[in-house]
Amino acid sequence: MNIDGNENEAKLKILSSSSDEGCATFSISEEDHTLANALRYMIMKNPKVEYCGYSIPHPTEAKVNIRVQTSEETTAVEAMNKGLDDLIELCEHILVEYNEKLDLKNYKYDEGVFDTENKA
Amino acid sequence: MNDISLSAITGFDSGPTVQLKELESDHIKFSLSNVDLSVANGIRRAMIADVPTMAIDLVEIETNTTVLTDEFIAHRLGLIPLTSTDVDKNFAYTRECNCTDYCNLCSVELNLNVKCTEDRTMEVTSRELISQNDNIVPVTIDDQDPGILIAKMRKGQELKLKCIAKKGTGKEHAKWSPVCGVGFDYDPYNKLRHTTYWIEDDEKTEWPLSENAKEEQPPIEGEPFDYNAVPNKFYYKFETTGSMEAKDVVLSSLNILQAKFDELRNELKREQNMNQYN
Ligand SMILES: [Zn+2]
Repeated sequence: MNIDGNENEAKLKILSSSSDEGCATFSISEEDHTLANALRYMIMKNPKVEYCGYSIPHPTEAKVNIRVQTSEETTAVEAMNKGLDDLIELCEHILVEYNEKLDLKNYKYDEGVFDTENKA
Repeated sequence: MNDISLSAITGFDSGPTVQLKELESDHIKFSLSNVDLSVANGIRRAMIADVPTMAIDLVEIETNTTVLTDEFIAHRLGLIPLTSTDVDKNFAYTRECNCTDYCNLCSVELNLNVKCTEDRTMEVTSRELISQNDNIVPVTIDDQDPGILIAKMRKGQELKLKCIAKKGTGKEHAKWSPVCGVGFDYDPYNKLRHTTYWIEDDEKTEWPLSENAKEEQPPIEGEPFDYNAVPNKFYYKFETTGSMEAKDVVLSSLNILQAKFDELRNELKREQNMNQYN
């Protein structure tokens, strides 16, 4: 069940109007700009992709549509898959980078109000 | 994985870099470079709306003879931050839990039972909330912290209630957000002209530079507008409500973002397999 209490609604639906595998609209429920804008950017980075855009059809409906159109070298589903793979890798890299910087401990550290030892 | 392959994907000269500037348990200041605005903004949005915490969601009032109405007090209780370290792993969302109403796997019970017996104003604070789970308690910064005021009572008044705290996220209600406002800044000199300043007479005096400007090249007088330029350094600064450590909010948001993409990738596979059999 999702946040709105809708059961059995598919997370992802592929809406394609033609037999052309190069274009498809991916309809994703319970997602918003957080996911869609980053995904749009990453899919657009793929040189085999000719167009990628997203829209939220209605503000009270938790749904985003992502449109992908590719050249003949790839398919829309492949482009979507690559976009997701790349974003997962990017997140992983930022996580590793962030953890490394945390471990370095060369930032200004001030326990402030949490410094209970000095306060007591 | 190395920086070279990643920069080829993202289109920046090198892989993403993080600069940590200040860190306290409830405060963080850092910058993130070599990522796209959409990704940086996704992290900001995930920190506000997608990082789960615990907050009081159900209140059963047994006695309330204070001057405040039941729903007024219930609302105030909901807004009290509860310590929520590792809530992501340790609790289920009630809507996804196997129980019919609520249980220990998806909720925590807190009780409040106070009566004013002295002839003076008594303050009922978050310190009077007794939690059944030692990990999920109202936030206090130290032993001197009086707690958050819930109601004031005079002699003879009484407040007795049971609260059920549940796991939730900021996109459902702001009470579940672990952060109080996230500072998000890029292009402090507005070289990209992503904003237009409202001014009376002079932009320079009316809009002082952000502290982040010292990390960037100031614009050169008469420099032509670079229409190919994109922002690539983002400055974050935020405080938490006390429910989580600031460093964990960032970690959690990155993990959640990654999990979102991963879920979608699995859904895409499932959808593909389904189509094969049709
Ligand atoms: Zn349950």
